[in-house]
Amino acid sequence: MTLVKPMPAGQVGRSVPRLEARQKVTGRTDYTHNLTIPGMLHVKVFRSTTAHGRIVSIDTTAAGALPGVHSVITGEDIRKVVPEPYYGPAFHDQPVLALDKVRHVGEPVAVVLAEDPYVAAEAVQLIVAEYEDLEPVFDEVEAMTSKAIVHDALKPAGTFADLKHVAAHRNTNIALDYHLRRGDTSAAFAAADHVYEHEFRSQQVMHTPLEPMVSLAEPGDGIMTIHTASQSPSFVRTEIARLFGWPENRVRVKVPHLGGGFGAKLYIKLEALVACLALMVRRPVKLSLTMEEQFYTITKHATTFRIKSAVTSNGVVTARHCEVFWNGGAYADIGPRVTQKSGFTAPGPYDIENVSIDSYALYTNRPPAGALRGFGIPQLVWAYESHTDLIARDLGIDPLELRRRNILKDGRPHATGTLMQDAAIELVLECIAERMQWSAPFDRGTGTVLRGRGIAIGFKASISPTTSVAIVNIAADGSTNLYMSTVDMGQGSDTAMAQIVAETLGIETETIRVVRPDTDVTPYDMATLGSRSTFHMGNAVKMAATHAKEQLAEMAASLGLTPGTNYQTSDLFKKKFGMQAGNVIGVGTFIPSYKSPDLATGLSENVTPFWMIGGTGVEVEVDTETGHVRILRMVNAADLGRPLNPKIVETQLSGAAVMQLGFTLTEKMEMDGGQVTNASLADYKIPGLHDVPLVMENHIVQANQHSGPYGAKGVGESATFGVSPAIANAIHDAVGVRLTELPLTPEAVFRALHAASKD
Amino acid sequence: MRDFELVRPSSLAEAIALLDTEDGGVRAFSGGTGLMLMMKTGVFTPTSLVRLDGIEPEHAAIGIDDDGSLRIGALATLSTVEHSPIVQKVAPLIPEAMKRLANVRVRNAARIGGNLAHGDPHMDLPPVLAALHASVRAVGPDGERTIAVEDLFAGYYETVLGRGELLTQVIVPSQAGWASVYHKCTTRSADDWPALGVAVSLRVVDGVIADSRLMVSAATEKLTRLVTAEAQLKGAETKAETFARAADAAVAEAETIDDARGSAEYKSSLLHVYVRRALRDALSRGALQ
Repeated sequence: MTLVKPMPAGQVGRSVPRLEARQKVTGRTDYTHNLTIPGMLHVKVFRSTTAHGRIVSIDTTAAGALPGVHSVITGEDIRKVVPEPYYGPAFHDQPVLALDKVRHVGEPVAVVLAEDPYVAAEAVQLIVAEYEDLEPVFDEVEAMTSKAIVHDALKPAGTFADLKHVAAHRNTNIALDYHLRRGDTSAAFAAADHVYEHEFRSQQVMHTPLEPMVSLAEPGDGIMTIHTASQSPSFVRTEIARLFGWPENRVRVKVPHLGGGFGAKLYIKLEALVACLALMVRRPVKLSLTMEEQFYTITKHATTFRIKSAVTSNGVVTARHCEVFWNGGAYADIGPRVTQKSGFTAPGPYDIENVSIDSYALYTNRPPAGALRGFGIPQLVWAYESHTDLIARDLGIDPLELRRRNILKDGRPHATGTLMQDAAIELVLECIAERMQWSAPFDRGTGTVLRGRGIAIGFKASISPTTSVAIVNIAADGSTNLYMSTVDMGQGSDTAMAQIVAETLGIETETIRVVRPDTDVTPYDMATLGSRSTFHMGNAVKMAATHAKEQLAEMAASLGLTPGTNYQTSDLFKKKFGMQAGNVIGVGTFIPSYKSPDLATGLSENVTPFWMIGGTGVEVEVDTETGHVRILRMVNAADLGRPLNPKIVETQLSGAAVMQLGFTLTEKMEMDGGQVTNASLADYKIPGLHDVPLVMENHIVQANQHSGPYGAKGVGESATFGVSPAIANAIHDAVGVRLTELPLTPEAVFRALHAASKD
Repeated sequence: MRDFELVRPSSLAEAIALLDTEDGGVRAFSGGTGLMLMMKTGVFTPTSLVRLDGIEPEHAAIGIDDDGSLRIGALATLSTVEHSPIVQKVAPLIPEAMKRLANVRVRNAARIGGNLAHGDPHMDLPPVLAALHASVRAVGPDGERTIAVEDLFAGYYETVLGRGELLTQVIVPSQAGWASVYHKCTTRSADDWPALGVAVSLRVVDGVIADSRLMVSAATEKLTRLVTAEAQLKGAETKAETFARAADAAVAEAETIDDARGSAEYKSSLLHVYVRRALRDALSRGALQ
């Protein structure tokens, strides 16, 4: 009898329907939000109403006296149990609950625990805190020199090899500065035919996962189990163990499916708080954030990017200087890494002889900023591709042609000195140009409705060096489980990874069961972030499957079976163990090679294991009387190596592009004195169905990532890169005005049109 | 949120009696789509909610009078109104406006009386109904009265309804001879609340505007009838210059407000554009027979 249908080929590259799709659409999927445990207490958070202040007093008497309240806990209470209750991936700067100071509106200051969440919420209203207000700083450029200092001393974590040099600086808001120097920019600027200098700004936005953050900690006998909607279970385990001073094997982190993540649920968020509370009250403790609270938890960096280029009369860029300021908010989260990892791609996918980059991660008194689908890249592409277009327009060179003249080709060195490899930048650009019929005549509209088009391309280096471990377990009947800590938050990783196992073992993808992340069961993975899983975990999974396959071959050889003869996997086990018994366990561990950039020059010959390339072309219609912009057509193209699952890839591309469309046109966290005045889905507008471009195409260019599993690499972020500048470029093309600040609202277009008509 | 009482009276009289109280925490609850948002944000903390869906079914009925006017029971859901053939016949502008009013889920729950009584200036139906010259019937402890929709609103989230007073019916007169248009302008996502709503009704006789009704909402603190703009139109020829003069007057008289959807200045500019476009479109649409 054969339980597993043999499938000789074609598992990879097949649009396998998502393994969990049926479970999800029939409401059977587990989510942390639905989890209850006997004896569980609900947590509600009392949050700071001031952006920057010293805590004078916190009065919890009335809250504690409310019937039904179990306890009220402040930062000082936490400190009694965990002496150094600060966490964070790059810096240990974030207190579990505010200590001594509050650094942003919405910062957790105290919590109420109760069996009834509504009682806890009511008690929160009875807490009174007094603060001595300190001068706040909100703007990233002002933070460079402001008297207001968010953190008295910097506390680098040392977790990441490439952040080790961050010393314990004092009296600065600069959490990290990254510098790159290549060639001689001063000489090139002095000799230039033309010098162009522009400043672009992007706004603070939020991830808005439709499943808000949620964590539940369950204390046991010398162990702590954390059920959490996290993108990084292994990191949570390490960090909780560090906070508690425990060995890692006493912390167990379990992650079911996620209702979206986009970088919001990375590293450590609510887990430290619920774990500390569970340790204190000896009962399971659950915290479910509301959508509103998420705006005060993690966001995307607002940025200011000053870019300056030296250009010859025929449009060759000879030098570029980039100065980027990242508004990291009150806590570093992963901001310093964004500053460096994204910082070095700031000059764009162009072959520029002389480059200098200064990139700064800044503390301010806004809600913290971290990673959001693109890890800083969309903010950079927004600037450099708007800048590229402005240069082309001024020189009277077609924007496509200007890009062709400067594009970075395979084999040529990137600004860091790393030679480009498997980076289909040119193909992405040409794919968009062809699909847009760029050289054909274009209808520019009439009257009050004018039309224009724009293109933009961007690229991203993968983060490195990071580790993924996978286990493939073949049971005696031949059925197979895959154990890994990659979190499927909606991107389809379970399906793609199962396809890799299936292709390697020659079985059908649908028969494989993927075991959900559980640090007691599934092995280490750095995190599900930065489009790293397909490449890193994909390689580990392929190694694990190969390892298992080798063991099956050895088993066959030991049993005297000739390779290629017609035996089933189950026959091997039966023959070997005398009955249906035993396992074959394949293990794979993957870490790519890497060379950390030189501290002084920022240069490295091996700065990334792979490059992600994405670009967008749009045709827009602008209403010159109202400033309204309508996207008539959007063409996205990306190099993601070989697609493991074309259908999933296409939804990743369209999803990323639509998400970035929101960050381009409608989304902005409106701030007043550090308070977010539109912190709800009623007032913070993400795109709906009617906002999706009338025509949208997503293209996968013919490429191969030679070091990737079956030629594949990451895809989750690539279609975010080009969207914002492509639209700004198209607006310029349509009505002759340039917007340099996101979002591109109708009012901003309208004002620019009016300003232009007065000139 | 504290515990609160949810009562479900079986008659209008009983509901009125329950709502005739000094306790500001007692509110009528019909579809709940507006009230729940206020409860969620803590703007309103109820002590008791009087649920209206158990009262006499006639208050949800839709009918037509002998004189051709439409009567919509206040408890009719927006989607019932949207799909009613009678409404489609008498006032096709109402179902047309519904297509972009909130979303299907909200329209299935929200009721027309609650939609009006909520007093939210960002709603689409107040300008539409006011342009159609609609009125509402209100019943309270002191009896019954009729209020023109354009007079229903006293300010930002405020109506002229008294304590214990409930809307029972929306009456839309026959639209024969009138041409109407509603233009909604959103400045963020398409499903956002409007930054501006403009509704116009025109009665044109032999190429001359005999009568008109112009309403603006969302950009102003409350639904506002643009009377000086209407005066510009009266007796004038239906041409672009006339419409531009009316738009100038509209901008002069409407007090637009700043919010996250746009500055007051921008909304005034939008108003100018939208009044002109609405008048133009009403004219080209032609009158109902």
